[in-house]
Amino acid sequence: MSAADLARLQFALTTSFHFLFVLLTLGLVTLLVIMQTRFTITGAPVHERMTRFWGRIYVINYALGIATGIVMEFQFGLNWSGLATYAGDVFGAPLALETLIAFFLESTFLGLWIFGWGKLNRWVHLALLYLTALTAFASAFWIMAANGFLQHPVGYRVEGNVLRLDDFSALLSNPTFNSALMHVIFASITVGGVFMTGVSAYHFIKRTPEVDFFRRSLRMGVVTTALATPSLIGAGFAQFPIISELQPGKFAAGPGVALGFMILIGMTLTLVSWLTLPLLIKDAVIRMRFPLYLMVIGIPLPFCAAVFGWMFREVGRQPWLVYGLLRTEDAVSHVDASQIRLSLIVFTSLFVLLACVDWALIARAVRRGPDVAPAPVSPLVVTL
Amino acid sequence: METLWLFVLGTLTVGYFSLAGFDYGTALLLPFRRKAEALQRMTPFFLGNEVWLVAAIGVLFAAFPRLEGELLSGAHSTFTLVLAGLVLFMASVQLRLWWWLVFTGGLMVSVGWGLFLVHLLDAPPLVALVMPVLFAVHGWVFQNRRWTLFPLTALLCALPIPLAFSSIDVSGLMAHSDTLGLLAWVAIPIIPLVVVLQWSIVAISSR
Repeated sequence: MSAADLARLQFALTTSFHFLFVLLTLGLVTLLVIMQTRFTITGAPVHERMTRFWGRIYVINYALGIATGIVMEFQFGLNWSGLATYAGDVFGAPLALETLIAFFLESTFLGLWIFGWGKLNRWVHLALLYLTALTAFASAFWIMAANGFLQHPVGYRVEGNVLRLDDFSALLSNPTFNSALMHVIFASITVGGVFMTGVSAYHFIKRTPEVDFFRRSLRMGVVTTALATPSLIGAGFAQFPIISELQPGKFAAGPGVALGFMILIGMTLTLVSWLTLPLLIKDAVIRMRFPLYLMVIGIPLPFCAAVFGWMFREVGRQPWLVYGLLRTEDAVSHVDASQIRLSLIVFTSLFVLLACVDWALIARAVRRGPDVAPAPVSPLVVTL
Repeated sequence: METLWLFVLGTLTVGYFSLAGFDYGTALLLPFRRKAEALQRMTPFFLGNEVWLVAAIGVLFAAFPRLEGELLSGAHSTFTLVLAGLVLFMASVQLRLWWWLVFTGGLMVSVGWGLFLVHLLDAPPLVALVMPVLFAVHGWVFQNRRWTLFPLTALLCALPIPLAFSSIDVSGLMAHSDTLGLLAWVAIPIIPLVVVLQWSIVAISSR
């Protein structure tokens, strides 16, 4: 394999792994906002326990996701130095805004939220979670703005052999950015809903004594999935006319099978979640039991769909890195293929390890179930 | 504008290394200390440093686009080591299963930064040991609560890489002032805000 092929494979693997963490983070934080708001208003202990239990899973996933994110960010410079050299003035702006406005602040708000449990005024504590969620979605906003630029470059002027930023607002009204952002947001909320449904179903399969707790969680998961999926599919199909107009070669170049599977999974989740809604009455779905097994099996589905979707979007952009302006092969760093191969092997094995650790830690937190007595919570690592 | 961005990049880098020192330093000292206690002390600070690193690389990309790629790809294997160490460190601290994995992760990161220093200064390879030694000393000061020495060792950890950086001539490698002007509006208020918030995390967690 050439250096370019290895670098592409590495980028695809890093992004895919990173995005699995991102999806769950965004999905869970949205649901946590709802739970903690209900707790802060009503003061009912069940909402507090829900916030703690799901919050712990969220924090585990977030902290491990950072590791994949750091590698992701370095990779632009390590393997694709041609991108920064040529388009850094324009592409770098949303990327830097993401690291500063979104990630830098998000992690810090989250840190305060974690260590502020029971120590801060509960409205202040709630506000911190809102700020964490807001900056998390701001992260998605800027990353999609940067990716939208790669799909359909706008707002630039050519000066010598580099691009200069001409009109920043054009980056934000880029048609390949807006609908894709909505698609990603609803995909993450769907992931949150499906995950919550599946984990709650697991506890009912295990005949949990926490009936009220997981009954509420399961309902919340199903309703979230049912509400998010139609918008998810809508925002997905809304991209087709834009792609036909701006990237006419994409449907031929992109992997159609991946697109097909993604649509199939999206449709299935919509159908199943709406069919489950009436079964929530008098907990029929829990008493029937067999749907519970399907809910557990269904957890990986939206994750797979998201990776398929990205494969279509990114492979379909080839042979361009910046569509129509910079070819992928011209952006690869002047690095030996052997060096890229080494880093590919190292990072891929570490990411597999990381995904396993994430899985193991989340599974441990899930099996442990919600706290019985309101113990002091520091969800980050300490009590695991 | 050039000075401003060098200052921003310098602040972020100093922020990372002064916070990172006792994190990785703690990892390096693990064989000689009570593991659970040492890790417990580090917890409120864990990941607090990596956010500075991410912000620094973001600024490097946007404000110094012609430097970022050359700098990182020029030290490809070194950064592979640093990043692999980071991933290992972050995962193993949370897993809390085998302390020697935390140690290995911390060692890889610190030796990696040492090698980067060697790369920047074109120094003999043995200079790479400077970083692990400084981190270990800073970790020791942190673990033994020698607060009077703390600012000094923090500074010692923070300075080598930014100082080595100052040997690079950045003129012509920076982004156009249109990009820099836009980013300045964001970078300048956010850095002090994060300092205040991170300080609050430490204050709250020690209450």
